[in-house]
Amino acid sequence: MVGYLVRRLAACVIVLAVVCVFTFMIFFWFSPDPAAQICGKTCTPDRIAQIRANLGLDQPFLEQLRVFVSGLFAGRDWGTGADAMHCAAPCLGYSFQTNESVTDLLIDRLPVSVTLATGAAVLWLLVGVLGGLVSAVRRDSLWDKGVLAFGLVGISLPIYFLALVLQYLLVVKLGWLPFPRAVPFTEDPVLWFESYLMPWVVLAIVYAAMYSRIVRSQVIDTLEQGFVRTARAKGLQRHLVLRRHALRPSLTPVVTLFGMDFAALLGGALITETVFGLDGVGKLASDSMATNDQPVIMGVTLLAALLVVVANLVVDISYRFLDPRVRRGTP
Amino acid sequence: MAIPAPDTVGVPSGAGAPASGAPASGRAVVRDLLRRPGAAIAVGVLGLIGAMALAAPLLAGLTGWDQYSFDPSAIDSYSGGLPRGGWGGISGDHWFGVEPGNGRDMFMRIAYGARVSLAIAISATVLTTTVGVVLGTLAGYFGGWVDTGLSRAMDFLMAFPALIFMIALLSALPGGNRPVLLVLVLSVFGWPYTARVVRGQALSLRNQEFVEAARASGASRWAIVFREVLPNLRGTIVVLATLAVPSYVATEAGLSFLGVGVTPPTPSWGQMIASAATWYAVDPLFLVIPGAFLFATVVAFTVIGDHLKSILDEGAVH
Amino acid sequence: MSSRRFGLVVAVVGVSLVLAGCKGGDDGDGGAGAGAGAEQGGTVHVLLAEDFSHLDPAQGWDSGVSNLYRLLYRTLTATGPGGTDTADDIVPDLATDLGTPSDGGKTWTFTLKDDVAFEDGTPITSADIKFGVERSLDPRIAIGSPYAKTTLELPEDYAGYYESGPLDSIETPDEKTIVFHLDHPEPEFASVVSQAPFTPFPHEQADTITRSSVDTAPVASGPYRVESYDRGSSLVLTRNEHWSDASDDIRTAQPDEFDFTIGLDPATIDERLLAGQGDDANAIGDQIQPATLGRLNAPDIKSRVVSGMTGCTGFVQLDTSKDGMDDVRVRQAINYAVDRTSMQTAAGGPQMAETTTTILPPSLPGYQEFDLYPGPDVAKAKELLAEAGYADGFEFTLDVAAAPSSSAQAEAFQESLKKAGITVHLNSIDAATYYEVVGAPAKQDDAVLASWCPDWLSGSTFIPPLFEGSQIFDQGNSNRSMLDDPEINSEIQRIKSMTDVDAALAAWGDLDRLVMEKAPIVPTLNGNSVHVAGANVAQAFSNPSLNGNIDYAVVGLHDPDRG
Repeated sequence: MVGYLVRRLAACVIVLAVVCVFTFMIFFWFSPDPAAQICGKTCTPDRIAQIRANLGLDQPFLEQLRVFVSGLFAGRDWGTGADAMHCAAPCLGYSFQTNESVTDLLIDRLPVSVTLATGAAVLWLLVGVLGGLVSAVRRDSLWDKGVLAFGLVGISLPIYFLALVLQYLLVVKLGWLPFPRAVPFTEDPVLWFESYLMPWVVLAIVYAAMYSRIVRSQVIDTLEQGFVRTARAKGLQRHLVLRRHALRPSLTPVVTLFGMDFAALLGGALITETVFGLDGVGKLASDSMATNDQPVIMGVTLLAALLVVVANLVVDISYRFLDPRVRRGTP
Repeated sequence: MAIPAPDTVGVPSGAGAPASGAPASGRAVVRDLLRRPGAAIAVGVLGLIGAMALAAPLLAGLTGWDQYSFDPSAIDSYSGGLPRGGWGGISGDHWFGVEPGNGRDMFMRIAYGARVSLAIAISATVLTTTVGVVLGTLAGYFGGWVDTGLSRAMDFLMAFPALIFMIALLSALPGGNRPVLLVLVLSVFGWPYTARVVRGQALSLRNQEFVEAARASGASRWAIVFREVLPNLRGTIVVLATLAVPSYVATEAGLSFLGVGVTPPTPSWGQMIASAATWYAVDPLFLVIPGAFLFATVVAFTVIGDHLKSILDEGAVH
Repeated sequence: MSSRRFGLVVAVVGVSLVLAGCKGGDDGDGGAGAGAGAEQGGTVHVLLAEDFSHLDPAQGWDSGVSNLYRLLYRTLTATGPGGTDTADDIVPDLATDLGTPSDGGKTWTFTLKDDVAFEDGTPITSADIKFGVERSLDPRIAIGSPYAKTTLELPEDYAGYYESGPLDSIETPDEKTIVFHLDHPEPEFASVVSQAPFTPFPHEQADTITRSSVDTAPVASGPYRVESYDRGSSLVLTRNEHWSDASDDIRTAQPDEFDFTIGLDPATIDERLLAGQGDDANAIGDQIQPATLGRLNAPDIKSRVVSGMTGCTGFVQLDTSKDGMDDVRVRQAINYAVDRTSMQTAAGGPQMAETTTTILPPSLPGYQEFDLYPGPDVAKAKELLAEAGYADGFEFTLDVAAAPSSSAQAEAFQESLKKAGITVHLNSIDAATYYEVVGAPAKQDDAVLASWCPDWLSGSTFIPPLFEGSQIFDQGNSNRSMLDDPEINSEIQRIKSMTDVDAALAAWGDLDRLVMEKAPIVPTLNGNSVHVAGANVAQAFSNPSLNGNIDYAVVGLHDPDRG
């Protein structure tokens, strides 16, 4: 077990390291020069050179990478004299645009993304898993057809289209909901709920559609497998068969998927946050890309990768404890 | 498969791949498919959209408009360029109305947009399927360090915040040939989803009797891969590819929506939806029409993929 | 300043506003909606798509942030209050008058008013203005308005207060008097000191006010101070208790608070302003989207519309150093061929922009109306192309920012030139880096779609940056026509040295025509600004000196308790 953990952890670190190096390479070779951008309209070659030096952009690729990585673990220091700033580990650098610490920016923006992801996840798990389950058990019923149709429509609707249509109907036309914005719960719980409701529903529809399809097909597969048929042949009641035998193997892949999807959403629902103007990590990502703010893009990318990798790890490890087949090492 | 999560970093999900089994004859599969009403309708819808895309230049001759020419008479410049006559400016002249602000013909933009969207999605599918099948088979069949290396690469690409990264990359890269760039970017992050499934299937085929028999008879490893393993994966590959097309259509539209896709004035559905974002309250049809085409295309491909999968599954069970 | 906000340009026609009295809103004329009649107190909400560039006045240089600076900072002179006769003039602010030149315009002396103070209560002295200017000359932060640097007499390698210490060319004989020594005579120096880098900062706190501190923790000299700032999402301003109304003839500062919500989708801003629910009744916002124009005629909305001119010119700069483009006949042919009306429609129609055939916008004194290339005249364009040896057509590449309004205009430009056999290829460049890319002559293509807004209302901030040969730079170049024409260069020098300010203003208008004869540019549109204000918002005036934005300095609420 310890050996396994160490191997898995090492793999995670390697993935993150490669993401980091890759992103750095893109910035280094392809991206327009951020110094020219900061330099503004009355720029001179001298000042560009100076800005490049201040930002450390005049350094060779490996040196820049080294500074960044050491900042992650040991923190970094900026400026001299009264301008000196210390950025404690894990330091992701400072935004080129606003001079704010990227780590602080991410921490500031996370609560919105977490609220958005959690609310949506509750909704989509309820609708998606229950819908898929009932649909599989009552195959070919009206209910099943409804879930299938929902699944098909839901996965085929582009999220930005759905968001715009719902906003038009619920906010502009009917006036049932306010325009979404990131109201903190502590400020006004009612407004908080009203503001997040539409983004939750939009995200949940798309994911619930996907999950209902997966759960349905998994449960049907399991119900047709030998051991379930045997259990039923032995006269076990239908719902007992389902609960004791079919549920766990069917839902295992869903748990894996959920871990990844949820983690990815924590790292920012880029389109939903952008369309609804919610100040989460996803909005931060799209804003920083619009301004070529490389340290922030780097931070968001790394955070997103970290969350997915950690979710993966947690899911894998919990399987080893939960699922007897995995523990024995059979696939 | 290969349906990247809708609003995040491209974690894929979707229904499982079909069981691999004895290959059914292609003609029988098509016959079965067309016998199912849902699938037949989907094939019909795709046929229409495909025909519209292919015939776009002919249609241009028919309607008298092309995808670029402005029609100032169809819009009211004192209302910010709103189409005249309500309903998005739908008229005998402009079958789907006109684009606000310049009066370009929506029908032609939709038709040419279909060309762009489908060409990109299908190219990306061909590329990812080829790469995914080759590398997946290699990993699954040969195992060992080949498998380890390829699997790590797949893990890596799938853990990568793909959407964020695609946008960052596309906005950083200079102009160039946008459609080709889009195909490449979609493919880099798309192939592992095909390869992963193919690998699993190849792995299970490796120890099946007919493969062992071929091995015993002295066939080379490559011959086994191409003559025994790949033909047995045919069903899986067809289903994966069918379901990959809509996911690329959607992703391309999403990237165009976010402003890093196809550059104007070339039309694309996602870009049209993006421009409609400021107009939806006064000209809802400008949003609804490209949205409906995008939706119909994705649904149709998905329905066909679902039915193909279930036909092949049944074939395997029988 | 060239327009940094790519949303671009501009618009329109001055639906001229009822000029409602001057400063001081208590004498409202009962005008509806956007009109006069603000009461003391309340919170004005501002809905914005993009964040302000910088709180540090040494760094911010665009119309959006200049408007914010009016609330936070005071300078020796400033743009007059919106809604009054002086809205397009430079008037005294911290100074008692517009300064006294001596030494043939090379030395300027200003006297400060009494009763002016920073937010901590420290009185503002001449030494604080001196420190502010010295600080702003630090090359690490000097990315804002460049005029301090280009007019003051500076030692060869002066690198700002922190590196090089105090400047000898700014003298402060006493706390109320400040004397500037210039590098060359500058008749418009009273306008130069209205620029943000002349903002005072307490010189006694020079060890805590650093290069970077102002951008996050500014020291207010205007009527408001920063209460909280969450970059990219919100900015809250509350009263600076030490600002005195009596010393300020520009700002009315009626509201107790300004509450900026940042990062909203432009369409959402429009919907909220039109709906005006709750706090949105007290809100103003960005320029509206063309899509919203059609809804402004509704009776309850019409009275809330605030419009004016941006005072900017949109154009296509033709790179005269490129093959083909170096032939004046080709450039003239393009000027004949362009269909400005279709570009106007693409930009949102007559309410959002006026077509123009001149470089200077009508808001500049000295503006002359003329059209050297009446069109669109396809036959004339083809004839000129044939003369130039391009009878079979001409091709070139146009750089354009990947933003909706710019793209729409570029497509209309492309479409109209097609009729004259000119093929335009569009090169879409990421909006965030657009001006950096086209500001490097090595990277720009044959033509560039851009716009320019004056820093103050004089041709001196318009023609030289766009057409003077000595202003071609490797980076941050704005002479993207790459024009280095002896006749134009010498004329620019001649006008710059004129001491009669009014004669100089008129001379810029004459020079406009001379430049257009050489056709290094295709002027296209003068933008208008169209805003919608909440029903409870009073004194919302489009200020021509702030690119037509609603002047924060005078806006207020009818009923401060509402919302």
